Amino acid sequence: MIWKKLSRNWLGLIGLAVIALNVLVALMAPFIATHDPLQIDVANQAAPPSAKFFFGADEYGRDIFSRVIYGTRISLFVSVLSVLFATTFGVVLGAAAGYYRGWAESIIMRCMDAIMSFPAILLAIGIMAVLGARLINVVIALGFVYVPRFARIVRGSVLSVKQKEFVEASLAMGNSDAAIIFRHILPNCVAPLIVQATANLAYAILAESSLSFLGLGAPPPAPSWGNILSDARNFMLDNMWMTIFPGLAITLAVLGFNLLGDALRDILDPRLN
Amino acid sequence: MIRYLARRLAYLVPTLLLVAFLVFFLIHLIPGDPAVVMMGPDATPEDLASVRKALGLEQPLWRQFALWMGSLLKGDFGVSIHTHRPVFQSIKERFPVTITLTSLALLFSLLVSLPSGVLAAAYHNTQKDYLFMLGTILGVSIPGFWLGLMALLIFSVHLGLFPSTGFVPLWDDFWEGLRFMVLPSITLGVYMAAVVARMTRSSMLEVLRLEYVTHARAKGLSEWKVLTKHALKNAFAPTLTTIGLQYGMLLGGAVVTETVFSLPGLGKYLVTSIYMRDYPVVQGCILFIALVYVLINLAVDLLYSYFDPRVSYQ
Repeated sequence: MIWKKLSRNWLGLIGLAVIALNVLVALMAPFIATHDPLQIDVANQAAPPSAKFFFGADEYGRDIFSRVIYGTRISLFVSVLSVLFATTFGVVLGAAAGYYRGWAESIIMRCMDAIMSFPAILLAIGIMAVLGARLINVVIALGFVYVPRFARIVRGSVLSVKQKEFVEASLAMGNSDAAIIFRHILPNCVAPLIVQATANLAYAILAESSLSFLGLGAPPPAPSWGNILSDARNFMLDNMWMTIFPGLAITLAVLGFNLLGDALRDILDPRLN
Repeated sequence: MIRYLARRLAYLVPTLLLVAFLVFFLIHLIPGDPAVVMMGPDATPEDLASVRKALGLEQPLWRQFALWMGSLLKGDFGVSIHTHRPVFQSIKERFPVTITLTSLALLFSLLVSLPSGVLAAAYHNTQKDYLFMLGTILGVSIPGFWLGLMALLIFSVHLGLFPSTGFVPLWDDFWEGLRFMVLPSITLGVYMAAVVARMTRSSMLEVLRLEYVTHARAKGLSEWKVLTKHALKNAFAPTLTTIGLQYGMLLGGAVVTETVFSLPGLGKYLVTSIYMRDYPVVQGCILFIALVYVLINLAVDLLYSYFDPRVSYQ
């Protein structure tokens, strides 16, 4: 049903196509890239775009096109894993808070409030500052700051679904709490979760590139989009192309997830439209 | 109103305690000995001992937290390991830059988002509306730091319209200061403008369907008056919440924007301190920004009932 409705939403389809293109580029990176993204080539330092270097070369002569292509992998890896992390913990915590109520709910939701009291990127910067610039730490930092968004949604959904008769019936049949939560309640929370997860993938791509730009993401010389822009910053006055293409790659990837997220929100959760 | 304020402030206490605990705990997430990480592998045993003593790292965790909280309540955010200056003093010197930047970004985003959101709702499902939606979705998709770099290249380097880096306080020379802040504040404000514009449009669409709007039109009021005087005030309440929440994006985004434009604000100070592993400064900056964010959202909550009288302070 979702697919049928999505196929009528042309903006959503464009978003899906852009995401599919990004996934394809990430998977096929070794076949699409024309150079080794880490290969230094002193003879071609800051070479402008040409048939040999489609997007030009950076200050070390590394091919920017190949670095942007491989950057897709890093960006998707971080965004997907961090959203998966946030969804998993958010679902467990939100379900526990909504189902058990009482002190468990108070403690969990006050902790979620505390995390949400920080601007998300600021808390991620703080976590990266202490954990150190490693790719897996970016996943942990972004996953952690996004947990409350999922926990709040799941708690709200659980609170409303818990009142339904089929849940009472399941309880009367003697099913365990875990069975009731996972078999009966959570399947009814999937729609808002999908909407939130898609939107969060876009935030995560932006946040990962910002962290890398600040030197707090994937450590150099990893070809993350933020790293490429951070390197290009000192040379952009005479070599504008160094900054154009990685920025366009980020914008395109985020645009894809935003377009799909908007379409899914319209389809799955019309109240939010 | 005063009772409501007291209740809201009381409700803030556990949240603020948890916020402080999270910031305190950050330093204990450092893999290995925090003193070695801060002072580097070449530090002498005396240096390490002095850092451990200054940060109270030899005390039990609960005591460290109690001492740290006690200092915070007295306005003592600790001392920088590298400059030996009180962190709060440095924050006070840099915060005016950050608040100027975020306030101008907020002003820019409201000037753009409110009229465009209202107009998009008025021209719902027309080409103007579609163009608006395209603009807002681009606004939330372009990374701010890249937009900043592009703006620097085009408007500073190639056109020479604005200075590329630096800061002149508005209170010293307003117009010169404004020239320095135009590009950073627009760069920072674009994302928020797009989010608030979308929210304004959807709130307006909801309000415009209500009967009192039809009644206002039936009275013969001009469409301009219906939109601005009758619909916008009610539609503004949910938009206000979005503005409060998005202000956090401005505070967080300021870290990146200040780095791009080399503005001597709190964000740039934070990033520089991270590079220098000056963790008391990192803790102080993050805690201070979080406190500002919490207080701004409290102010938004209090303003809410002005725009939506159905929300009472009771």
